[in-house]
Amino acid sequence: MTSDSELRDKPQLYFDDLAVGDDLPALVIGPLTPSHLFRWSAAIENWHRIHYDQSFAIYHEGLPNILAQGSWKQSILPRYLKDLCLPDGWAWKVGFQHRAMIVPGDTVTVWARVTGKREVDGLGLVSLDVGMRLHYGPESCPGTATIVLPIRGGRSVPYPFEPTADMQVEETD
Amino acid sequence: MSDSILTDDIRALVGFAGERIEVTFPWGIEREGLRTFTQAIMDRDARYWDEDFAKSTRFGGLVTPPIYVAYLGRRSPPGSEDTITAAYAANPNSDGIGGVARAESKGGLPPIRTTLKRVLNAGNEIEVRSYPKIGDRIFSQGRYASIRERVTDDGAPMIIITTETTYTDQDGAVLCILRASQIRR
Repeated sequence: MTSDSELRDKPQLYFDDLAVGDDLPALVIGPLTPSHLFRWSAAIENWHRIHYDQSFAIYHEGLPNILAQGSWKQSILPRYLKDLCLPDGWAWKVGFQHRAMIVPGDTVTVWARVTGKREVDGLGLVSLDVGMRLHYGPESCPGTATIVLPIRGGRSVPYPFEPTADMQVEETD
Repeated sequence: MSDSILTDDIRALVGFAGERIEVTFPWGIEREGLRTFTQAIMDRDARYWDEDFAKSTRFGGLVTPPIYVAYLGRRSPPGSEDTITAAYAANPNSDGIGGVARAESKGGLPPIRTTLKRVLNAGNEIEVRSYPKIGDRIFSQGRYASIRERVTDDGAPMIIITTETTYTDQDGAVLCILRASQIRR
């Protein structure tokens, strides 16, 4: 888990520092417990019993256990990418699918690998494969992302981040 | 295409946008809700809680995670009906949410009327432009971005529906855009 001070003092990751095929530092979360899942349900007021009522999940819904929420996974990936880009890069886009279920006892490794790089308008756009891998192997959340990093000696990544037409076109190629 | 599963009524929904609705309560984004949310995603980032530090960053003050806006509309407003009690009153074996209208259903999109009953989540995409700030009033607007017809490997028809929800602040600035794709087959 990333500490407060690590996030405050994180050195900037630059476009120049990365090459296609590089693995970025992973974030390990877990083992997850029913309390973690319940905390998320309470935070977003999601009262669906499959996330905190084990008897209901198993005997009524036929699930192996209570399930980690898809919304939790949807929130962890942007958080991970945000951390990678701090302090002045930008986690622009992430897309993913929901695959393997996450249940209490699972440990999740959030990961990213560089699949492409391009320089657009003086900024470094980095394409990533991303995911949330379970401790016993399956991928729970495979996807792709685009982060925007400064280039050494180049201009700052603007905030708010408004993607230019060139960025959007490149993104769809 | 005469045997298309996409009727004219369905095709007409592409691009249809729902009402722009406010998903925050009248007092806007507040710190306590932000605290519980960031702790639930185990994010200790001081940009969310240390005002002095946050002022020294590029954001100029406390901000929230970008995805935070997606969950604001599902909270029960104070003074509203107790949705949990209502759910169990309607069905003692309730799943905890069934049959209870949520605040986010306001501004919702019209249903896709199709004979394809099975629903699968085909994926999500989040595009982030800016982080919300404490006190911001947040608005959302959904639209049908695309509705495409496909055929499965075994020859069965299916449609892929992509909805796009844009979150903006009180000034109309885009904060983030969520795209969710759903398969009907």
